[in-house]
Amino acid sequence: MPEAQAIRLAQQGDAAAFERLYRLHSRRVYSLCLRMVGNTAEAEDLTQEAFLQLFRKIATFRGESAFSTWLHRLSVNVVLMRLRKKSGTETSLEEVTEPDEDSGGPRRDFGGPDLRLSGSIDRVNLQRAVDQLPPGYKSVFVLHDVQGYEHNEIAEIMSCSIGNSKSQLHKARMRLRELLHEALRSKAREERKAAGNAGGED
Amino acid sequence: MATMDCNEFLHHLEPWLEGSQHPEARVHLHDCSHCRGLVEDFGALQTAARELSAADPEPPARVWASLRAQLEQEGLIRGGRRTNWLHGLFAPIPRPALAGAYLALLIAAAFAVSGPIHRRVNDYRWIEGNQTSALSAQLDTAEQNTVASFHHANPAVTASLHENLAIVDNYITLCEKSVREDPQNEVARDYLYTAYQQKADLLAQMTDRGDGDYGR
Repeated sequence: MPEAQAIRLAQQGDAAAFERLYRLHSRRVYSLCLRMVGNTAEAEDLTQEAFLQLFRKIATFRGESAFSTWLHRLSVNVVLMRLRKKSGTETSLEEVTEPDEDSGGPRRDFGGPDLRLSGSIDRVNLQRAVDQLPPGYKSVFVLHDVQGYEHNEIAEIMSCSIGNSKSQLHKARMRLRELLHEALRSKAREERKAAGNAGGED
Repeated sequence: MATMDCNEFLHHLEPWLEGSQHPEARVHLHDCSHCRGLVEDFGALQTAARELSAADPEPPARVWASLRAQLEQEGLIRGGRRTNWLHGLFAPIPRPALAGAYLALLIAAAFAVSGPIHRRVNDYRWIEGNQTSALSAQLDTAEQNTVASFHHANPAVTASLHENLAIVDNYITLCEKSVREDPQNEVARDYLYTAYQQKADLLAQMTDRGDGDYGR
């Protein structure tokens, strides 16, 4: 069943159409939630919540935007709402990033010329670093670099400007680079220490 | 050619990563190891991010099961499997492996019809708490019989069905716990019966797909 037909039938309450839409999009939504919260149980809960909101509102979908964009907007909102509740504050997208970096303060010099990430980033390292990003950076990084959305789509999903999406992505990458370099430096220190200990035992 | 400085290069970084390489940016990169490092690292990040995406998992089956139960609860969908499942149980020749569960439902139905609360026959929520344990026990018996007699030429099919059975069993355990904690909670009982329904469906599938006694 094509997506357009599934949407039309779901708007009439057809159970098979709901399931078709779920099967078409659940992997991406679940992945988004998982990358955002880093916890499978919570990601499952958020996926269910996002689809529940979608299906409650599906009768109002008129096709002005792509269905997947609409669904992702709902999903991102569900995730950000959860993160805001957890932090106990009501915050805007701007505030879930790191506003001090927007204030024109001195640029940090990330990483030295001796360290390169190429060939040293594995899935676990990257996810660990992504987990440490502020929610706004994380959303844009996951949507753009992991899920392959374009900035105009992200702007629609996140209700922000295209320029804002680009700026958030750049900051997210810079922060990730810093975190991954730090992880590399820690690893190198540990290896030197271990080598020193081994040498001392000889 | 005048070259740009590092701050100016940052404006060309995103287009550069997407393949649009400005000549002045190229000159700057040639001369600046700092920005070369940045480009290389961002490239490595993009590659790693795409690999992360390739490993994206599917949500577990229980997510759709819970979602569906919630949609049914809210009356948002029609044509549910719940009705089909009951139709299956009331079919003229019930599958042998499900005969026990079928019998338990018939007993429950008889109880409901004669009981003080009149509800629709095709709505299973009327089944009282003491019948859940009977139904659960009957499904366990059905499971033992089905699993014991299940044979399939393709071991992947067997493994997949067993894996799904384990998932549904875990789901049932969680739902039973919720019902035990709050026996009057209709939503919790709804989830439990949906879980039972899933198990019966799965056992029926094993019966249909197996090439053992029940599949013939």
